Amino acid sequence: MDMLATNPAVHPTSTAKQAAFSPYADHGGTNLAIAGADYCILASDTRQSSGYNINTRFAPKTFKLSDKSVLATAGCQPDCNMVVTRVKHSMKGYKYTHNKEMSTPAIAQMLSIMLYQKRFFPYYDFNILGGLDEEGKGCVFCYDAVGSYERVPCNAYGSASALIQPFLDNQVRNKNQQGKEKVTEFDPVARLSIDEAMRIVKDAFTSATERDIYTGDFLQIFIVTSAGVEEQLHPLKRD
Amino acid sequence: MVGKNCVAIASDTRLGAQAMTVDMNFPKIFPMTDHTMIGLAGLATDVLTLRDQFKYKVKMYHLKEDRVMAPRTLAHVVSSTLYEKRFGPYFVEPIVAGLDPRTHEPFICCTDTIGCIDFAKDFVVVGNATENLYGMCEGLWEPNLEPEDLFETISQALLNAVDRNALAGWGAVVHVITPERVITRNLKARCD
Repeated sequence: MDMLATNPAVHPTSTAKQAAFSPYADHGGTNLAIAGADYCILASDTRQSSGYNINTRFAPKTFKLSDKSVLATAGCQPDCNMVVTRVKHSMKGYKYTHNKEMSTPAIAQMLSIMLYQKRFFPYYDFNILGGLDEEGKGCVFCYDAVGSYERVPCNAYGSASALIQPFLDNQVRNKNQQGKEKVTEFDPVARLSIDEAMRIVKDAFTSATERDIYTGDFLQIFIVTSAGVEEQLHPLKRD
Repeated sequence: MVGKNCVAIASDTRLGAQAMTVDMNFPKIFPMTDHTMIGLAGLATDVLTLRDQFKYKVKMYHLKEDRVMAPRTLAHVVSSTLYEKRFGPYFVEPIVAGLDPRTHEPFICCTDTIGCIDFAKDFVVVGNATENLYGMCEGLWEPNLEPEDLFETISQALLNAVDRNALAGWGAVVHVITPERVITRNLKARCD
């Protein structure tokens, strides 16, 4: 104690400290989307967690953009919110300039550019954009964090993606099933009725909730059809 | 995977050193008794060592006790063999699957590399593609599957899981153990 008082060099506040800034956090959560012939289903759980803590049991991360498109986001929540805000803002600008709603493929291209503009300080955000295209067909676009995107029949992103994606390959794209028509990238539309697709979505999430600690609480489902966007909320396990 | 009076055990056939594929037909499941099999995932040299060691122990048990080793007993043999090397472990995760030699009650379990046993009533997974496999099994498995349905379930679970994992695949082998017989089938899979 004596030495501390007399020698300022060993005083705790005078020693050099490494400053650190870590701009990213992972808030877990899972999204899923299936594109059908005349519908599109997007589903996400509503748990938001940090490490072993649950921040909140109800933090929606999927948002309706228009009557024909819905955006699901997973990753770092503030980044997700920023992306959604910016997409909505741009859509408004588009509407005021061109006097029509942006189509889902147009939003897809715009979102890709928006993400790539942040190429060297990316949004930590994995997006799935779903809805109906100009022909009224269901469409799902999935992105990486820097804007590389692809139109797919079905996709799962987030903490339980490794659990759900092979299940979707099998049940939606009929992979490894002999004698069943495959769903490929060339015609990325699931050969399922809405009811069948809904059953698969709910099954996928109840399964993922069993094994993934970051997925649970509530399942939010958006069903996009020519009639508009229907939103449903189902309970999931809360443990 | 457990079925109605039967169990199934399956594995892919790839052997690799990280991203480099070394062998496309490397067996990882070995019969121990008529109704019990053991699957070993991990370092290939340890897979072979442990296969021989378990085979030896099962045979010695048979000679000393004059009865067939039950899968539950084998599970504990596996566990203690691995825990003996607690501070320099074998890099292997085993699965034991079998039917009790007397009651034909299904039994499955897996352990980690130091022998901590995980008993399960439904399914167990070890190795590379565990996350993918957990997702598939949770989605497809249901209780009381007949042998043929169990075969289809475990095959679909394995094939679709390894197709989403770069370090697994290149074919698969499935064994369904019933009281009467063991049905072994080699599955074709994507080789990419």
